[in-house]
Amino acid sequence: MSRTTAILAVEDKLSEAVSIKILEDRGIGISQQLVLKGKGYLEKKAQSLNQTAKAIPVFMLTELDSPGQCPPQLVRSWIKGGQNPKFFLRVAVMEVESWIMADRKGFADFLSIPIHRIPRNTDAIPQPKEFLVSLARLSKKARLREDIVPAPGATSQVGPRYNSCLWEFVRVRWNIQLAASVSRSLKRTLERLRTFDAM
Amino acid sequence: MLQGDGNGSKRRSLKDAETFFWSVHMIVSHLSVKNWRNFQHIDVDLRERQFIVGANASGKSNLLDVFRFLRDIAKPEGGGLQKAVKDRGGLSKIRSLAARRDPEIAIEVTLADGAGEPPIWRYALGLRQETRGYRQPYLTHERVWQGKKQILDRPKKEDKEDRDRLTQTFLEQINVNVEFREIVRFFQAVTYLHLVPQLLRFADSIQGRLLEDDPFGQGFLERVAKANEKTRRSRLSMVQKALKIAVPQLEQLEFTRDGVTGRPHLQALYSHWRPNAGWQREDQFSDGTLRLLGLLWSLLESDSLLLLEEPELSLNAGIVSQLAPFISSMQRNRRRQVLVSTHSDALLTERGIDGREVLLLTPTKEGTEVKVAADIEEVRILLESGFTVGEVVLPRTKPSDAEQLSLLK
Repeated sequence: MSRTTAILAVEDKLSEAVSIKILEDRGIGISQQLVLKGKGYLEKKAQSLNQTAKAIPVFMLTELDSPGQCPPQLVRSWIKGGQNPKFFLRVAVMEVESWIMADRKGFADFLSIPIHRIPRNTDAIPQPKEFLVSLARLSKKARLREDIVPAPGATSQVGPRYNSCLWEFVRVRWNIQLAASVSRSLKRTLERLRTFDAM
Repeated sequence: MLQGDGNGSKRRSLKDAETFFWSVHMIVSHLSVKNWRNFQHIDVDLRERQFIVGANASGKSNLLDVFRFLRDIAKPEGGGLQKAVKDRGGLSKIRSLAARRDPEIAIEVTLADGAGEPPIWRYALGLRQETRGYRQPYLTHERVWQGKKQILDRPKKEDKEDRDRLTQTFLEQINVNVEFREIVRFFQAVTYLHLVPQLLRFADSIQGRLLEDDPFGQGFLERVAKANEKTRRSRLSMVQKALKIAVPQLEQLEFTRDGVTGRPHLQALYSHWRPNAGWQREDQFSDGTLRLLGLLWSLLESDSLLLLEEPELSLNAGIVSQLAPFISSMQRNRRRQVLVSTHSDALLTERGIDGREVLLLTPTKEGTEVKVAADIEEVRILLESGFTVGEVVLPRTKPSDAEQLSLLK
């Protein structure tokens, strides 16, 4: 019997928004979500969720974070034994921000910056969060700058409304198809989800 | 309570007689509700320890209010159906807005020795409002079962002849409820606690303006004062031990009376760099200390149903994470059933909480739905793979668009 719902396990609010959008695009609903407790938590739970996936499909989205590893390596180190086919553990290269910026046109419009400021291969940006903040500094919209860029002297790496701002972008404007044409890692995730219906 | 309460007490053995003298050792093992406030329909089993979770305004307090309502009907002083309804702003305030076709409100509770045990008592009542005249609320039915045997079925012939009789329940009338006095006692003993530290702290200045049954703990000190000295001492020493874990600098907790006004007070000795400077009265305790104090005392106080409203407020997450096991260890000695409404991740991220101990409230267009968490397939599977209730159930109660809060302009 094919199911059109999955359990969602992600690190934070932003990955949540991105995942919802991706699953919506594939016509998959979310029947249950786990708490947002960061990457370490997902790593700890991956093994159990691999078991859970025997009963219900599980979509987990995490981030690669550093160029020192490749996604298959990360997946192998998280799951001992075989990966259940219904366990969709996906790794954003490098971060989920890379996927967001991969909709170059949409994101450039959102920030009001020229499109050429965003590289053609967003997966290759080594520190996407920092890069995104540096893009926001160029924005002509003062409000967006205040939201995304940390205040001088702040200990946080991002501005006070970074997450909600990007969350809104993802929910309202983010074009998955355009983004997938730029980000290979996103494209693969979408392709992998084609097998969802065959379950 | 004196013995000779009729059949209800006779069923218990002599061994139980002493404890029964003080309390009614039963739990609500099942609850059915129709058209109560924001619930169109509830039909759930309850356990000794039951957590109620749901988004804001999903009706957690309204669910607890079912039991307060029954208490208000049954209580000996100023109780009764009419008063209980009036205190809630009339039947139209109580009735679910989703109740369009069928305007009847119905409540049915089953009492048993424990979760999953055979029913000892079942009490059911139905309410409607007169469509003309005084628009008084009246009973559509009132039924009592002892075990499987029905011992009351109203409306009876007399009720039909004298409609006024239906404006009162038998629960509130001593001369007609002898046969099921045990149920009456059970409802009367229901305790609700939502301690508001400010109200307790300024109890003296607010002077006596106590809400009936003191839901917010203003009269908490009076309750402490009422206990006999030996009991009070032993309870306070347990409370002190537990408090000391949360507030390490607390050395000693004592009950006193003000030399002039005679008002009861609690005072605590804190270890302090200045000797003799450490005694503080409750008005100087922190919010967290006061709430914890009230909570601990209530848990030790009696064996009757205890309703706790968000016990996590103003407490440190480390302490909150110990509340669930604490309630359960307290239940080893006193089998007090505890219904807890909560939003707390820390409280629910405790391995020992069973999916059957959690009621999940989900608002829908047709009123709020109530489900036992373990009965939801995804939840059950995840709990069985080792996730905790906090990890699995709480995300279901989060508003999906909470982010928009920070985008408000």
